[in-house]
Amino acid sequence: MRQGVEQAVVAVDLDSRRRFEELTLPHLAALYRFALKLTGNVALADDLVQETYLRALRGFASLRDPGAARSWLFQILNRLVIDHHRGASREAPLPPPEELDRFSLYDLIWEEDPLPYSDRLHEDFLGQFRDEEVRAALLALPEAFRVPLVLLYTEGMTYREMADVLGCPVGTVMSRLHRGRKILERELWECARKRGLVKTWNTQRDR
Amino acid sequence: MGVRPQARAGEDMEYATRPLSCEEAVKQFFAYLDRALSGERMEALEAHFDACLDCCERLEFSRKVDAFVKDRLGDAPLPDGMEERIRRLIR
Repeated sequence: MRQGVEQAVVAVDLDSRRRFEELTLPHLAALYRFALKLTGNVALADDLVQETYLRALRGFASLRDPGAARSWLFQILNRLVIDHHRGASREAPLPPPEELDRFSLYDLIWEEDPLPYSDRLHEDFLGQFRDEEVRAALLALPEAFRVPLVLLYTEGMTYREMADVLGCPVGTVMSRLHRGRKILERELWECARKRGLVKTWNTQRDR
Repeated sequence: MGVRPQARAGEDMEYATRPLSCEEAVKQFFAYLDRALSGERMEALEAHFDACLDCCERLEFSRKVDAFVKDRLGDAPLPDGMEERIRRLIR
């Protein structure tokens, strides 16, 4: 994609380019961070951010409110990420919502007691994960849940801002963040089981 | 006034007039941690926390998981020369 990006020509007058730079470059680091956390791939994140800037420059005239530049840029980048992942069929099917609602990592840690000598059981359980395992757990989430979680964790966006980026109602953001965290906890538990950090392999007890 | 301005009529009033069950409270933990609740919903939840030690401990664990994930995701500094490349691209 990189070569194609560099060859693109965008016809915008000099004043508009200056205004564009002033409004958009302060968000470059955040956009890159978002792209990297969503894709887990440095080169791809770099390409997606470049493409975001080109598309944004092309559509700059449509940005009516300069104060909305941040969510507008994230919206463009998010669409590019979705387009990139479309058809990749990398998402595993989710358990039904009621099953997810019943899942409690807090309870499972109590019940399995993986660290019998710990007096800080829950904290010590979390402390056993390696950074890359947490990143992998997040990457395993379906995109609809991963995107709002990344916006929350890395950018600290409000629900309103996320709704603007995702183009959905605030209530949908709230529900995705709730379910997304449940799925993430489940992924962490699965990771702990695979690494043998917890004893049981009886899925009947999981919830 | 809750998280959704378009919430069903009477919904917040319902929260204001009766105590929350643990199940109802747990469903709102994350919105509470994200500071997305206000008004009667938040008051009802905080009243529940005042009376329920178990939910307080669960909430604290959720807070810790959030901080843990945020910390483990780490930062992602811009690759060398990326800003300059973007500047050239849009010039």
